[in-house]
Amino acid sequence: MADAGPPSGDDDPDADGSPDAAAASDADAATESASAGAVIVPVEPSSTLRSTIAHVAEAAAADGAAAIHLVEIASWRNGDPESDERAAAAERVLERAAAWANADLDDSEAPGAADVEVVTAVLGADGYLFGADDYVRVLAEYAEANGADRVVLDPEYTPVGNTTLLQPLEFGLSNTSLSVETAPVDRPTRRERFRTEATTGRFVALFGLSLAFYLLLGDPTYWFDVVTGVATAAVVSITLSRVSLDSNPAFPRTPMRIVRGVIYVPVLLFEIVKANLVVARVILDPRLPIDPTLNRMRVIVGSGLPLMTLANSITLTPGTLTVRARDSDLYVHSLVPWAREGLFDGPLERWTRFVYYGRRAARLPSPRERDDVAILQGDDATEELPIAAADGGDPGSGVESESGDGASVEAESTADPTDADEVTDR
Amino acid sequence: MTAAPIETARVWLVVALTLLGLFFSFVSMVGVLRLPDVYSRAHTASQADTLGAGFGLAAVALTVGLAGAGFKSVLLLFFIFVTNPTAAHAIARAAFEEGIVPWIEGDDRR
Repeated sequence: MADAGPPSGDDDPDADGSPDAAAASDADAATESASAGAVIVPVEPSSTLRSTIAHVAEAAAADGAAAIHLVEIASWRNGDPESDERAAAAERVLERAAAWANADLDDSEAPGAADVEVVTAVLGADGYLFGADDYVRVLAEYAEANGADRVVLDPEYTPVGNTTLLQPLEFGLSNTSLSVETAPVDRPTRRERFRTEATTGRFVALFGLSLAFYLLLGDPTYWFDVVTGVATAAVVSITLSRVSLDSNPAFPRTPMRIVRGVIYVPVLLFEIVKANLVVARVILDPRLPIDPTLNRMRVIVGSGLPLMTLANSITLTPGTLTVRARDSDLYVHSLVPWAREGLFDGPLERWTRFVYYGRRAARLPSPRERDDVAILQGDDATEELPIAAADGGDPGSGVESESGDGASVEAESTADPTDADEVTDR
Repeated sequence: MTAAPIETARVWLVVALTLLGLFFSFVSMVGVLRLPDVYSRAHTASQADTLGAGFGLAAVALTVGLAGAGFKSVLLLFFIFVTNPTAAHAIARAAFEEGIVPWIEGDDRR
């Protein structure tokens, strides 16, 4: 995707670059243009993506950066139901962004512009990513593999619709060897079409949902309730439509999901009652015949809402408790072997796939048949327990992002020597 | 006189549901006291909310009638079903991140 068009246009490359970029270009000028590393820009449709790319292209041309890597961090996992459509959508966004970057480099008259390569990539599609810590790990690995030393963030970058992610992402990246900066671009007062297209459906859906809920609690025939309901629903959907829903509702997929969700509710209730009776018997038994273990199960349900549905269903069922979700694995604590076997047989996983993808997807083999399960404790243990801080913790080990887990880094660095005592007296 | 048997049945159903709710809440309390560590206690804490509160709210819905307030108790139940596992997961995850090893059989800390 390298673009070597002749410099044209009359933009001053440093005119609105950041202070950092300007200083760097003063120092290196054109003499050492090839020495500057590559720049990584995480891409997601946002209102400031266009101006972020313009900024990056100008700064890269001025610094003589080797390449601009436009990367999209996957919100899906390859091989899951519907992952192909999501991957195709991501490719379209990346193509559009790459076209912009190439056009900007063509227009730049900085001497280095012709040498800047534009590369696109999709990262993290081989597992489920859960938060800023996972994004940092994926970005750091990619940077290492491609000799990049800088990350420029779009100020409105919100992968998986999580508006609070940018701050922790910036923080997490600042703990790595990468230098990170937020593109100094103005947030537009009006929403650009690119973004509007992407979010109208979500807005309408959330507006309808919150209005319906409000009127359900109030009186739909009383004008005052209707007016305040519309106002409330507007505030909710303006502020939260990108947070609550990570993709647009679609016909007939969304209504079908709701119908299948309604079918799932009694099934889940039956499972809950059944498991409740078993656990109640165990607890009231004077011998207390429990055999708790921690288990690992690699699940195939899809990232985001489906995974949350499965994890919550597992926790709602007494005897199994979702402790941690990491990569594609759920770490589930089971109270009795009966609950563990039921978990490994995967009825809840199958039902979750049924709710979100229909009957065909539900027919995958169970986790046990796929050999995607492991017991991490006790006599039947098949794998080691992944608790690093089990013997008091090593505050030094967590500083590198190697562990791939910013949250545990935080936990470990704040842990004090009393940790070990805490473990033993429980 | 025709409505009386239905009315009686409703009252008994309310009593039965309340007792079931109390039973599961009681089991959950016993579990929290008896079980050895934070993970296994989180199991029964969520049990109290699911069936304990579930049967309790069903009794409420039956008492006040399904129109109006009864419907709200169904919504409340839905709310509990979403928030309760989330809270249990948050507690378990926090324990896991702190490096607390789940208790297993034969472990002497109890």
